[in-house]
Amino acid sequence: MRSNVSSSGFERFEQSDTSNDVLKTLQDGSRIAVIGAGPAGSMFSYFALSMAETIGLDVNVDIFEPRRFCHRGPAGCNHCGGIVSESLVQRLAIEGIRLPDDIVQRGIESYTLHMDVGDVRIATPLQEKRIAAIYRGEGPRNSELIDTHSFDGYLLGLAEEKGANVIPQLVTKVNREDDRMIIGCADQTSGSYELVVVAAGVNSRLLEMLEAESLGFARPDRTKTFICEFNLGRDVIQETFGPSMHVFLLDIPRLEFAALIPKGDYVTLCMLGDDIDEDLMGRFFASPEVRNCFPGGEIPKHACHCFPRINVRPSHPVFGDRLVMIGDSGATRLFKDGIGAAYRTAKAAAKTVVFHGVDAETLEQNYAPMCRRIGRDNLVGKFVFNIAGLVQKARFARRGILRMTANEQQSEGNRRMSGVLWDLFSGSASYTNVFIRTLSPAYIAGLMWNLVVANLPGSDARTPSVTGTGKHHVQH
Amino acid sequence: MSSTDKTDGMTTARSFQTLAWQLEKLPPCQAQCPNSGDVRGWLGVIAQHEKNGLTLDEAYDEAWRMIAERNPLPATIGRICPHPCETLCTRHDKDGAVSINAMERFLGDWALSRSLSLPRIESKSYPETVGVIGSGPASLSFAYQMARRGYEVTIYEQRDKPGGMLRYAIPDYRLPREILDAEVQRILELNVSVANNSDVGTTIGLDELRDRHELVFLGLGAQAARALGIPGEKGPGVLAGIDYLQQRKERADSLQDQKVLVIGGGNTAIDAARSARRDGADVVLLYRRSEKEMPAISSEVEDARVEGVKFRFLVSPTRIRRERGKVRSVEIQAMRLGDPDESGRRRPEPVPGQLECLPADKVIVAVAQAPEWNGMESLASTGSWLRTAADGKLDINLWAGGDDKGPGIASSALAQGRLAAESAHAELRGLPAPPIEDRRKPVPGGTVKVDYYTDRARTELPRKSPEEWLTDPEAEIDQTLTYEQACEEAARCMSCGLCFDCQQCFMYCNGSGFTRLKETRPGHYFAMALDACEGCGKCIEICPCGYLEARQGDDHNDARQRSDP
Repeated sequence: MRSNVSSSGFERFEQSDTSNDVLKTLQDGSRIAVIGAGPAGSMFSYFALSMAETIGLDVNVDIFEPRRFCHRGPAGCNHCGGIVSESLVQRLAIEGIRLPDDIVQRGIESYTLHMDVGDVRIATPLQEKRIAAIYRGEGPRNSELIDTHSFDGYLLGLAEEKGANVIPQLVTKVNREDDRMIIGCADQTSGSYELVVVAAGVNSRLLEMLEAESLGFARPDRTKTFICEFNLGRDVIQETFGPSMHVFLLDIPRLEFAALIPKGDYVTLCMLGDDIDEDLMGRFFASPEVRNCFPGGEIPKHACHCFPRINVRPSHPVFGDRLVMIGDSGATRLFKDGIGAAYRTAKAAAKTVVFHGVDAETLEQNYAPMCRRIGRDNLVGKFVFNIAGLVQKARFARRGILRMTANEQQSEGNRRMSGVLWDLFSGSASYTNVFIRTLSPAYIAGLMWNLVVANLPGSDARTPSVTGTGKHHVQH
Repeated sequence: MSSTDKTDGMTTARSFQTLAWQLEKLPPCQAQCPNSGDVRGWLGVIAQHEKNGLTLDEAYDEAWRMIAERNPLPATIGRICPHPCETLCTRHDKDGAVSINAMERFLGDWALSRSLSLPRIESKSYPETVGVIGSGPASLSFAYQMARRGYEVTIYEQRDKPGGMLRYAIPDYRLPREILDAEVQRILELNVSVANNSDVGTTIGLDELRDRHELVFLGLGAQAARALGIPGEKGPGVLAGIDYLQQRKERADSLQDQKVLVIGGGNTAIDAARSARRDGADVVLLYRRSEKEMPAISSEVEDARVEGVKFRFLVSPTRIRRERGKVRSVEIQAMRLGDPDESGRRRPEPVPGQLECLPADKVIVAVAQAPEWNGMESLASTGSWLRTAADGKLDINLWAGGDDKGPGIASSALAQGRLAAESAHAELRGLPAPPIEDRRKPVPGGTVKVDYYTDRARTELPRKSPEEWLTDPEAEIDQTLTYEQACEEAARCMSCGLCFDCQQCFMYCNGSGFTRLKETRPGHYFAMALDACEGCGKCIEICPCGYLEARQGDDHNDARQRSDP
């Protein structure tokens, strides 16, 4: 690309653009600019090139990504907890994307739910329903992980194998000129494209700049989260955390979700909520439930941290003429399964632009509905998290949930509460699905019963106890 | 939850922050340049011209002015400098150092073609006058730096034209005299006059000049050729390298079919050998150490070889034999390398019994040079060279620089002239003494992320094909980069240790801590709001040039203070 605006393919495109129909679809030699090589950008490129191949369409895909995923620390990282749900792992496998062993830091086999009233381990609902813990970059700052590699780097490699061209430049401008999109980079080079796919996430100023360019869309609403890495060593992590993700339901205002995710020599802390700040973090680190997860009850120094922003309301609309926003730049699932949403939006966008067209109308009809579904589900999700917030505040409710879950884990029967919690924490199912299950009479009856029993004077559950894990002691 | 717990938690959250900090560092090119030229600065003006609203023409003008801050002779130095600036260029091991020397030459020629004037510092003039003895690079640099500060300068030159060794020792095929003339003329236009044929020491006394001017600068150079001290050295057929080169400037006699032996391993020896080839001689250069120890510029040695100069290493002449008053042969002694001497090079020692006789018609001796004191020997009271303070001060109102302080490259002479002028000006005006050393922290190794930069092959200096070198013997071999090439080559600079607007910190800071400045220029594109810093250190790790660096959490307040201009 760059300055040689008239690639041979583009000239042909120009010559044949006599009818509107031609303009609205990709042609042989059409050029697609993908901004950002996170999972959304790479998967879009991979799918678009694969789909184009099936119909004998020869398109050029340039992925703009100045960063290197082979760099350790936040510079080479796309900041997230690093959880890929099993449902996504399976969907990717169907697409021909099999995550190699050196990408998966650790298979997660259970969740351990920590509350002031006790903790309970929730085993994977079905044997195969595991979770993969990954690093988006090449690992934490100064880490010396051996034989492990970046998830994002792996996906980008797949896109490159499909024929995508990686341009290591930072995009600083996107303009619409007649029927072309002009991409400008920080090094003053520019290029002309038939389609621009924005996969720049929400941790870049690009969307803000594009919004100001009056490309006709408003960027997503964001909130601040916190992620950090503790280097405890493989053996200590195996012993203290095991192949389990530790989730905290604590009565701390604005904290929606916090989890410790073991990975290799490190454990990743991920805190989500309403603008995580130092005050909230201070309360979190001071709580005994958290401290007791660490050896000696002391929070160690962290090796690496960041405050990534997450998308809490999709950009609107998620498309424009010859412009489509995917992954976090477009619509993503609230708090959970961002990589899954990247996959879904990337694939839907690829399908639309390859088989249907690149104009606003076509994108509205074929791409936007999927984003709207995600948005609607997020509304349900918000409601579910509000309920979870009430539970966090109500000790009697926590007791009931703890008892119900613990009992389920010890029996072979229907694990209604366990399943709901698992899917809520892992993002394996949609929020709507989770919510509908909580409306089932059996679930409600079970919960009511446990609420009553757990809060009866003299109940076991009234005295905090060890449940399930057998390792962690809740101290008061 | 107790308040103590909370405080502990806060400590955990806060105390391991990596606070970023913008700090300009000394790049390796500038650190290696004897004259401390702001190479990164002037390359940046060209590479980033569009960002800063300059046309390429304006950028070239500005880049030249920046060079001229420290070097008034870029077209000259851009031709003859062995460019130590390129040796440690971060780009060196990736795809070749930036062609800094070729860029300097381009800008020098650019300024001459545009008739740009040297930039003055002050428009007013001071009553004090300055006398400069000699007109080599040190003297020219001193004269320029004083004149642009507002002093009236008189140069006293022994010969009939200014330029010193640049004029009399460097052959035209390396430095065309029109280039030197034009660059010297530009200095003279700044209220500098030249009294040619002024033989200070004989016709005018130094004391007289020190009475006449408030301040005198000595740039005597090292024009006296050292002798070998072997039998047969005195007499016809044997001459000094600089004398031969100087004679050739006026008239080149044919040496067709003569056997010429050149003795020495420095640049004068190489220039003499190559000149003798141009005069038609069969040339053998004798050097007492091995090729590795030769002080000459290695590319010059290569070029000499291409032109047919033959080399004999590890040999030393012991006697020059004549028959009927004409040189017939030179007896040489085989040498071997012993332990390193004070220069770090291995000392040559004779191998007993190994003598050889080489036929010769002419011998050119270019082993070393020393100052010609001309009755001013007392100045060098402690040895053969002048000993000055670091800023070049020798005595009250007497300053010195250049080869009279010891041999060095032209760029070192420029630096000595400049430092002396800066210091002399400060003294005359009662200002604080200017710094001699660059106090900026060098770019620490490994902080420039070499893999961020796209591969771009080095633009080598265009040259004539070797077949043409001897057919048009005085014509310049090296050529100048084109207008387009120069811009592309400037863009290869990685801007080690100074922001070049890659915009990644601005783009990726989670806290939006960077704001673009309204008025930008190389190194000044973004302001940092330390209050917005979330301490993740991403910007530091992502900064390709090493401009952003870490300050520890406990330095938070310190950093905040230092960020306030």
